Amino acid sequence: MNKSKVIFTIAVTIIIMLSAVLIGTVDIKISDIINIILYKLFNLPLVKELKPNSISIIWNLRLPRVFLAFLVGAALSASGTVIQSILKNPLASPYTLGVSSGSSFCAGLVIVFGISIPIIGNITLPLFGFISGLVTVFAVIAFAKKVDERLSNNTIILVGMVFSLFINASLLILTSLYRENIESIVLWQMGSFSLRGWGYVRAALIFFIIGIIGVIKYTKEMDLLTFGEDEAKSNGVETEKIKIRLMIYSSILTGSAVALSGIIGFVDLIAPHVARKFFGSRHIYVLPMSAIFGGMLMVVSDIIARTIIAPSELPVSAVTALIGAPFFAYIYFKKQVV
Amino acid sequence: MLNVSNLFCGYNNKDIIKDISFEIEPGSNLCIIGPNGCGKSTLLKALANLIPYRGSIKIDGIEISNIKRKTLAKKIALLTQMNSIYFPYTIYETVSLGRYCHMNGMVPRLSSIDKDIIYDSMERLGLWGIRNTKINQLSGGQLQRVFLAKIFAQDPKIILLDEPTNHLDLKYQIEILQYINEWVKQNERAVVAVLHDLNLVQLYGNKVILLNDGKKHAYGTLKDVLINNALEEVYKIDIKKWMTEVLAKWQV
Repeated sequence: MNKSKVIFTIAVTIIIMLSAVLIGTVDIKISDIINIILYKLFNLPLVKELKPNSISIIWNLRLPRVFLAFLVGAALSASGTVIQSILKNPLASPYTLGVSSGSSFCAGLVIVFGISIPIIGNITLPLFGFISGLVTVFAVIAFAKKVDERLSNNTIILVGMVFSLFINASLLILTSLYRENIESIVLWQMGSFSLRGWGYVRAALIFFIIGIIGVIKYTKEMDLLTFGEDEAKSNGVETEKIKIRLMIYSSILTGSAVALSGIIGFVDLIAPHVARKFFGSRHIYVLPMSAIFGGMLMVVSDIIARTIIAPSELPVSAVTALIGAPFFAYIYFKKQVV
Repeated sequence: MLNVSNLFCGYNNKDIIKDISFEIEPGSNLCIIGPNGCGKSTLLKALANLIPYRGSIKIDGIEISNIKRKTLAKKIALLTQMNSIYFPYTIYETVSLGRYCHMNGMVPRLSSIDKDIIYDSMERLGLWGIRNTKINQLSGGQLQRVFLAKIFAQDPKIILLDEPTNHLDLKYQIEILQYINEWVKQNERAVVAVLHDLNLVQLYGNKVILLNDGKKHAYGTLKDVLINNALEEVYKIDIKKWMTEVLAKWQV
């Protein structure tokens, strides 16, 4: 039963991604798009004379944009799923742990000081994003442990919030100190996939693959962790070890995504929820499917962001929040009633 | 099969359990009783290796803190007080998680043996017919049965029960304890249960540890413990007299 749903979801995703490539200010036919992709990938001949301009729009602008949106959405959502299982809370997200603020602060530093490590180039930003996200998570956990030895989830969530607010304020200070960079920092923070190019897609893909392979190994453990730490331990899960590994991999996913595209919220909250609705609670389904839903949702949000007031663009984060906030309220209050 | 000697444990460097020793033989049904806050649950947590301890807890001669959790889970399982449900797994999915400690490899899958054991555990507790029901739709009694089935699927040698019948109707209390009693009788198994209700202890326990302020106050059959007036000393009421009065009223 789940198999046909998986195939259906993948089919819908491909259709949405294709339409995302199709939609834009310049009209290019779908047959031409497929032609261009095949030409670029397999060097197949172009059927008819296409303007070099069209080829460039499809290959250099729209395709990388769609792929980056998909990868970032997928990474955030997979990471959201992991954090929700660790914290036993279907409303938690990597933002709760402060990962995103950590990476965004560090990305701010990278932008302000123009840091770029020569050999790794494009990967500098996501690498810093991942490392600072991870540092924040460990700081949050270390601090929470000091306050509450049992490391209860409420403490983690509260400490995460405190750290997030604190780091966000630091970013604000950084921004105001380096006013000449205000525009690029703010633009980056608003979240966007425009003009990012294949370099960004490659960087995102590397981190996504590492992160997703890391977490997919532990789907059974995540199932058990949702029943509580003691329960998981007495079922044979080495919870301390596995929780730390899961947090590292989810920092890889979130940190790199945030560094590459800015702070885009709510997708990591909605996608796992939708995945659970359709595929049940087992993480062997929820994890990959919420990645796919998250990617899909991000691509759709990006379409909305760049078409609704074309030729100008809305920040993607505004679109996801406009869809996400009411959705969040809906799940929360529906739960309260039941 | 389980040897506890000179056990100290607690939280935040403060000992709650102080110098306790006892032994559990196969086929035994040991009840831990005592007033609120005397350390009953803490003792169980130490036996499940959930909290650090000093002294020694050995299962089949091996110190439990030196055993990998997966290996330990094949020997000892813990049924906690009512769990909160955050994610709506089906009954079948929940029970099959009990097989986790028996699964190996990069991508663990349920073997046909695993599936037989899961079927058997669910059938025994009358859950097979409703296996696709979501656990967040169950009553407290049904839920406790699901978690017990999960433990049967885990197939340990010793089950630790932390007030397993708390919040349950009398019917379910008796039902759960009967299932457990049948389970103990099968090949060389044992149960350690924290129980509040002395009537249930009388019915199902064959040995009793009476705890008071983290120390072992008395140990033996419930009858021994009653005769020695230990219950009175700990609970500060004349339980025997009270029970006789209650029974007398019933006869009317």
